[in-house]
Amino acid sequence: MEAERTRWRRLSQFAVALFYLLLPFAHRFDFHAVAGNLASLRLGPIDLNEPAAAASAVAASRELTWSLVVGTLPVFLLALLLGPVFCSWICPWGLLSEGIDRIRQHFRPSAWSSTDWKRLRKPRALILAAFLLLSLFSATPLIALFSAPRLISTLPLEAIFLDAVSPVTGGLLLVLLLLEILGPRRLWCRALCPVGILAGYLRTKHTASIHFSTDRCFCPHAPLCQTACPWGIDPRHMASFDGCTNCLACVDQCPSTALRFQLVYFFRT
Amino acid sequence: MTWSWRTWLSQLCAPAPLRPPGARPEAEFNSLCIRCGRCVAACSYRSLQPAGWEHGSSAGTPLVEARKVPCYLCMLCPPVCPTGALEEVADSRQVRMGVAEVDPDTCYAHRGILCRTCVDECPFEGDAIHQDGQLRPVVTDACVGCGICERVCPADPPAIRVRPHSGTHRSGS
Repeated sequence: MEAERTRWRRLSQFAVALFYLLLPFAHRFDFHAVAGNLASLRLGPIDLNEPAAAASAVAASRELTWSLVVGTLPVFLLALLLGPVFCSWICPWGLLSEGIDRIRQHFRPSAWSSTDWKRLRKPRALILAAFLLLSLFSATPLIALFSAPRLISTLPLEAIFLDAVSPVTGGLLLVLLLLEILGPRRLWCRALCPVGILAGYLRTKHTASIHFSTDRCFCPHAPLCQTACPWGIDPRHMASFDGCTNCLACVDQCPSTALRFQLVYFFRT
Repeated sequence: MTWSWRTWLSQLCAPAPLRPPGARPEAEFNSLCIRCGRCVAACSYRSLQPAGWEHGSSAGTPLVEARKVPCYLCMLCPPVCPTGALEEVADSRQVRMGVAEVDPDTCYAHRGILCRTCVDECPFEGDAIHQDGQLRPVVTDACVGCGICERVCPADPPAIRVRPHSGTHRSGS
């Protein structure tokens, strides 16, 4: 059974998924004040732009568009306050990926490796750099094109509002789906997704995060926290940029109080 | 910002599609558009469609297939673009999506059959398109390229088609 924090997280994930599912129906009734997908959402007069897609557009076009930059600020602020919660609390692809992983675990359980998550540090940085450099040289915003959150949130718009799923959206989602089913556990979210990788770097020491106290931990042999982590991270040994998304699954599973979530750095005791 | 080899490559891959009104020149548009679908959602006529793989690196960007649904120049899509790939146009007469071209071999009027469908349906009738002394349609510089003529042309395939502008956008001028 899922514990309290994870239940709130599922509620948030399903709410976002439902929002993007219902939005095209609203468009059909000529409601257009709220529109977009997870690359950019328009909330009346407010723009919310996803930073990684925006960064690749800046690299591709070699120009800084004012509206593009301003629209990313609220998203930057959210990430700097709460960490990369985009991946674990918002992204519908993350929800789907966790669901597929759970089914996979049911049929063929495989434990997280105790070292894999550490080895992903460098590849993640390289993949993000490669995406941005290729965007620059090909003059195409590749992160926007391949962003899983964009693709999954634009699928209902195409299917319900335009009555046809484009082969671009459908094809890319199919490839991602095959990767989720046949590839290593949650490989896209953990290592490849440029949106998540960039989100993971938007941290300061003041950003909300998980804190571990060695002296309170009494289960060193069976790390329930790492088993529970959807990203396969061992929160007892992780550093700032190891890909933790503040999903709080580890805090839920910790039998002692060794793992705690600190929302605001300044109030730390 | 446009590299010569890039332009060469894009010409090699696919001809520029018909873009929504207010679109920047093709290379700039393609590099700025983050495929957020806001313009697609803004269009009540559902004129805008995401480009398929045949458009190469433009895959997922919005385009108009005039023969299916042309642009009715409601001008709701440029203001919702978050990246500036679509720029606001003060007046729909200043839109330059492309320019209509008549094929004299298939046009009914050119073949002596009385037809003025394109002239009648043009939102800028008499200005962007008019009839010459022999009642044949003539497209002028005022054509905005909305594609309504291509949509309504009774010939099949249409005898009047919009040739998209690639890189000659004149917004606000």
